[in-house]
Amino acid sequence: MYRYDAVDRLLVEERAAQFRGQTERFLKGELSEDAFKPLRLQNGLYVQRHAPMLRVAIPYGMLSSDQLRVLGRIAREYDRGYGHFTTRQNIQYNWVEIARVPDILDELAAVEMHGIQTSGNCIRNTTTDHLAGVAADEIVDPRPYCELMRQWSTFNPEFAFLPRKFKVAFNGAGQNRAATGVHDLAFDLKLDAAGEVVMDVMAGGGQGRTPRIGPVIKRDLPWREMLTYTEAVLRAYNRWGRRDNLYKARIKILVESIGAERFAADVEDEWRHLKGGIARITDEEFQRINACFTDPAYLSDDEASADLSGLRVQHKRFDAWLRRNVVAHKRAGYAAVTLSLKRTGPAPGDATDTEMERAADLADRFSFGELRVSHHQNLVLAHVARKDLFDLWQAAEAAGFAEPNIGLVTDIIACPGGDFCALANARAIPIATAIQERFDAAKQEAIGELAVKISGCINSCGHHHVGHIGVLGVDKNGEEWYQILVGGRSDNEVTLGTILGRSIKFDEVPGMVERLVDVYLNAREGEERFIDTVGRIGIAPFKAAAYPDKVQAA
Amino acid sequence: MSEIIRIANKRIAVENDGWLLLNEAGADVWPEGDVIVPLADWLARRDTLKSRTGRTGVWLAPADDTLSLKDAFDGLALIAVQFPKFTDGRGYSHATLLRRRLGWTGELRAFGEVLRDQLFYMARTGFDAFVVPDGLKAEALTGGLNDFSVAYQDAVVDPAAPALANRAAAVREAKIARTTHQLQKIAAKHPDAIFATSLSAEDMVITDLIARHSLPIHITTLDTGRLHPETLGMIGEVKSKYGIDIEVMHPVAEAVEAHVATHGAFAFYESLELRKACCGIRKVEPLNRALSGRSAWLTGQRRDQAVTRVHLPEAEHDEARGMAKYNPLADWSWDDVLAYAARFDVPLNPLHARGYPSIGCEPCTRAIRPGEDPRAGRWWWEQADAKECGLHVGPDGTLTRTNLESAA
Repeated sequence: MYRYDAVDRLLVEERAAQFRGQTERFLKGELSEDAFKPLRLQNGLYVQRHAPMLRVAIPYGMLSSDQLRVLGRIAREYDRGYGHFTTRQNIQYNWVEIARVPDILDELAAVEMHGIQTSGNCIRNTTTDHLAGVAADEIVDPRPYCELMRQWSTFNPEFAFLPRKFKVAFNGAGQNRAATGVHDLAFDLKLDAAGEVVMDVMAGGGQGRTPRIGPVIKRDLPWREMLTYTEAVLRAYNRWGRRDNLYKARIKILVESIGAERFAADVEDEWRHLKGGIARITDEEFQRINACFTDPAYLSDDEASADLSGLRVQHKRFDAWLRRNVVAHKRAGYAAVTLSLKRTGPAPGDATDTEMERAADLADRFSFGELRVSHHQNLVLAHVARKDLFDLWQAAEAAGFAEPNIGLVTDIIACPGGDFCALANARAIPIATAIQERFDAAKQEAIGELAVKISGCINSCGHHHVGHIGVLGVDKNGEEWYQILVGGRSDNEVTLGTILGRSIKFDEVPGMVERLVDVYLNAREGEERFIDTVGRIGIAPFKAAAYPDKVQAA
Repeated sequence: MSEIIRIANKRIAVENDGWLLLNEAGADVWPEGDVIVPLADWLARRDTLKSRTGRTGVWLAPADDTLSLKDAFDGLALIAVQFPKFTDGRGYSHATLLRRRLGWTGELRAFGEVLRDQLFYMARTGFDAFVVPDGLKAEALTGGLNDFSVAYQDAVVDPAAPALANRAAAVREAKIARTTHQLQKIAAKHPDAIFATSLSAEDMVITDLIARHSLPIHITTLDTGRLHPETLGMIGEVKSKYGIDIEVMHPVAEAVEAHVATHGAFAFYESLELRKACCGIRKVEPLNRALSGRSAWLTGQRRDQAVTRVHLPEAEHDEARGMAKYNPLADWSWDDVLAYAARFDVPLNPLHARGYPSIGCEPCTRAIRPGEDPRAGRWWWEQADAKECGLHVGPDGTLTRTNLESAA
């Protein structure tokens, strides 16, 4: 993974010092709440329902075991013993004291971490495929490009006060696992005929109140011009994005209002002045960064492989775990393993201090001391030798990470919702638990792949628009109600889900999810997944089953 | 009349401002003196405005089209950009376009909600004047201009070479800034901190930084009695260049005499034990005397000086002496040291130029050949892993390191 040099180190240290000064001035009353707000936001500090919340950046989801141990220690010493991994591959702490945040930032700086630009109307932490660099279907490793984007966007003086937040994602694999279709700006990396990396650029995607799939505004952008082009996009957005209405301020509204073609032409016009300029990526800097993402010292495929068939027969749960939590790696002798943070009960994505330490130990033992946070809110060990899989499974089982449910109905994405978030209309975590309780191991195995995603409000942090089944919390006269969506997906065939009908009460949600699943199970043909069945039979049968008391013509 | 902060030639000045800003567009007559008019007026009535006796500036609101000023600079004394709210970032793009696209070189001022923590970004996009908002003091804002010493991306103004375009230069700048911050923190945390200089190039860099930032860090050196005259000459160089008196520690004369009487004047060539005994008398004991009773000391050690120093932390706990120990140049390379010395005209021991990267006592140091290990000229008859004089050891006399990174 990327290692800091003196430049990176200095910047996080100077930022921590700056924030310490800001915090002291705020606590002494020299800085008003209004003036402190954007500063604390740009350091990841929100004021939440119960206490301030601190969001820490995990750049494109990559973590070392040492960093994870520090995150665990921070959870123990500064919070209530746990942290929450988010759908943007970050971690947030829900119970920090403002006065102690400067100390936390110092602790983070010592392990090359920070909260810079994890909130506020600026360029946020870049996200990507949690299997970057190891995926069997990878075309271009996105990590060096993510790191270049991280550096370019960090403290970029022109774009620190945008109309609204700005999220950038990269995908470099055949199967899109980075949800690039629903980002403000996204890059799909591929190779041109000459074998050079080029990028298709999408702008104006996003979820939230007005979900949009980002149109492609540029094809085959040469990689060296990634930052000059990004500068052109950001300048257009900074100048012309709406600032009069918070809900119309994202770039998607600008792109939609003038049309993708016109937006692309405006960007192209601006880019003419920038391409080939000083922000063109140099070979030297690319090589320096790329050298951080070399393969670890893998064993040969023969040495790393093992015949697991006997163990699979003996241990049914190991077999299920192999099928669900273990995926192919570019090296035949290796696999990528997901440590599930989706146990029934705890909030999806939550991990306690000791769990973080245990996961760090597993990474040291089995995966070269490295982990990834997936946007599905799980942890991934990306380089596990197949011969170690059984040992890892036993250790993960003992540590509580071996729930064989990755991609299944209980692997729910959920935002913190009304239990923590000041913006939420409704709770998300208890809904997740109530759904998880409806599906035992056998049932969810029988259903197969099914992505349930829950947001506590229209800001859509829980990605409900792109859930196979989406759940959205809404406020009706001060009460918690929920809308149910079906048919969303964030992969190559990115699609926004369709709202089935009127909103329902908390207690009705698990039953409705069950009825939707039954529609699928009855209609399923062969190996068809839930989302495939939706594609084949359409939404109508699901609507009918969702509201059985309503007579509807299908 | 309001206060204005100006940056000119990298210096910050606070002045009174005599310009009058006119809010409303559409005027036909203007007051005497220097006025700043709305963009629409400048574009519509340029010739009339130019014929006034006073100077004319123009101001841009966030929604104005910056590029409409193309070919309209003639007769303009300044451009002002309004920040009605500091969260409205359009002004940064105005500035970038004015400086980079239209080539405006005159005064570019920010007014409105101009707050401390926006100043760094404003300066980077090319603003060189900042109107202090009512109710705020200029001194409370100017600190924001120095919050960061380096930047990743290029902008109109960069604090140093932008790292994405020239990493090596940015890294060098960052090391200087980090070392400076560390020295400042040490001085603040330990009023009795002491720097033990060997008068080497590394230690001259630290001396220069201490002097440059007027840090209250005491400086001492060890005159072992066997140093090169060139080395001893550096004490005077420091005095004349920086006005700093280095405290010189000497070995206990009786101990030196007894050692020489028993083992001869060149016993250090005979065995490791005798060499270490000599170092003990001439270096370790005087150093311990200098450090005694203090809470922290500093050294110029670097990681890539020797195999014994590859894990050298920037801050550690000196268990043998029960005090904090700081190595602010831990991550500097020899080239970084030489580049710093050349840039800031730091006096160097002339022996460095004669092939001595690491300098100790005269009989125990020799020049090295190109490509040799930098410490190959120290106790050259010994194994590389033994080559420490005993100043930098743990309680049991071996090289142990207790990392204390977070203490600095």
